[in-house]
Amino acid sequence: MSALKNKATNSVLKSEKKSLLRFLALYVTIIIFVITLIALFYYQSQEKLMLAEQRATLSKYAYIQTKRLKVLHHYFDERTEYPRDPRFKSAIYDIEFMQIFSLLENEPEFFDKEIYLTQNQKHIHFIKSLDEYYLGTKYLIIEVKDDGIWRNEIWKNIVGYGLIAFFFFMLFGLYLAKLFLKPMRDSIMLLDRFIKDTTHELNTPLSAILANIEMMDTEVMIQKNKKKLERINIAAKTVSVLYTDLTYMTLEQEKTEAEEDIALKPVLENRVEYFDILAKSKQITFDLDLQHATIFMERRKFVRIIDNLISNAIKYNKRGGKITMTLRENSLSIADTGIGISEEKIPFMFDRYMRFNQSEGGFGVGLSIVKQIVDECGLQIEVVSKEEEGTTMVIRW
Amino acid sequence: MVKITIKSMMLFVIISLNGAWAEDMYERHCVTCHKSLPTSLQQMFKRYLLVYSGEKNVKASIKHYLTYPTKSISVMSDLFIDTYGTKRTTQLSKKELNEAINIYWDKFKVFDKLK
Repeated sequence: MSALKNKATNSVLKSEKKSLLRFLALYVTIIIFVITLIALFYYQSQEKLMLAEQRATLSKYAYIQTKRLKVLHHYFDERTEYPRDPRFKSAIYDIEFMQIFSLLENEPEFFDKEIYLTQNQKHIHFIKSLDEYYLGTKYLIIEVKDDGIWRNEIWKNIVGYGLIAFFFFMLFGLYLAKLFLKPMRDSIMLLDRFIKDTTHELNTPLSAILANIEMMDTEVMIQKNKKKLERINIAAKTVSVLYTDLTYMTLEQEKTEAEEDIALKPVLENRVEYFDILAKSKQITFDLDLQHATIFMERRKFVRIIDNLISNAIKYNKRGGKITMTLRENSLSIADTGIGISEEKIPFMFDRYMRFNQSEGGFGVGLSIVKQIVDECGLQIEVVSKEEEGTTMVIRW
Repeated sequence: MVKITIKSMMLFVIISLNGAWAEDMYERHCVTCHKSLPTSLQQMFKRYLLVYSGEKNVKASIKHYLTYPTKSISVMSDLFIDTYGTKRTTQLSKKELNEAINIYWDKFKVFDKLK
């Protein structure tokens, strides 16, 4: 099994990576949302706990202050000094929420809550509703400072446990993602294995067919048979390109050959000649504008790029269409007048086994090989396509 | 001599009348009667505060009591009512009554008096 794990299958496929990233993005969003929600509940519960702890003390202060108000009410207005206490500040409001007297630093925010933290989080207010309205007091508000120690403790816990939980869930998410993507990976490996096995068996018969076609003496053939032979030649060359791609992908890609300065013009002319018979079968003409240019790389790799680009330009061209090849010092463009491809599909056209048009044969490996070689050799590939108008592939180096 | 006496008497009457007119609605219609009671108007005001708290409530309850005085709605103790009885229904108009009550509130309210 490990022998089957070639470079392409070992590295996570682009689409697999995308699925993984999408899953992780969604997963991370959900996890952050859940952790935030839990943190919020935790914070609120801790705040309630703190207030509950304060309630007993503040209730005692309120009781003391009520008794003082009772005395003041009795002696009012001989005595007019509002009772003060160093432990807390207080205020009195009547039944219509009018302030009678206040020593508070923060205005009361609620009269219907028994205890709450002020909005600036600096004070705690305790509201006592009196049954007997001494000096008209319905609401007695006791204010104490909040030291905020509990809050620092809570934040420490939230950040600490939050991060631990986040990393734990992330690990779990990665495990889940791999578990979900395993069937996809397995099927790709199965396909690789199948292709590798079948490719191996194609070599001998294909070589025999091509060699015999070359050896046939077409001079003595009648026109009808010449046509038939031409069709056999086209079919054999199509299979040959496919065979070479599959062989390259499954067996040869890890082999290295010496890199060399390749004069591109003769190579391109040679490949055009090779594909000419295929192009003619669809009445496609080549328009070559080739200047002298060289590139330093493995010849077989460059040929794979050219073969696949020309093959695609023929395959997806219209009958009677044109292929324009332009070679400049640092670029090569191959433009067809074919069916084109929509813009949103362009990012996926280099994915392995990706075929947008089922009407044409193939395995969907050609452009994947092109991209692989382009990336390996530090080249750049650009795709410009318009539906029903054609596609232009530009290689730059 | 007689002339001087008549002149003096007329002057006294004018001054007395002026003094009477100088008193407000509260002084004229409330204070005069309450003078004879052992509980001051301020103590009564504090009883109203103790029971009704806010300005609107206190004013409304005083007005209601003065218009329909009964033992059941009085803020005073049973002993006080049994001894001195409830007051007679007010003869003041609504406007006069409101004016007297407003003065009473302003005079004894707690707001701004605490230090």
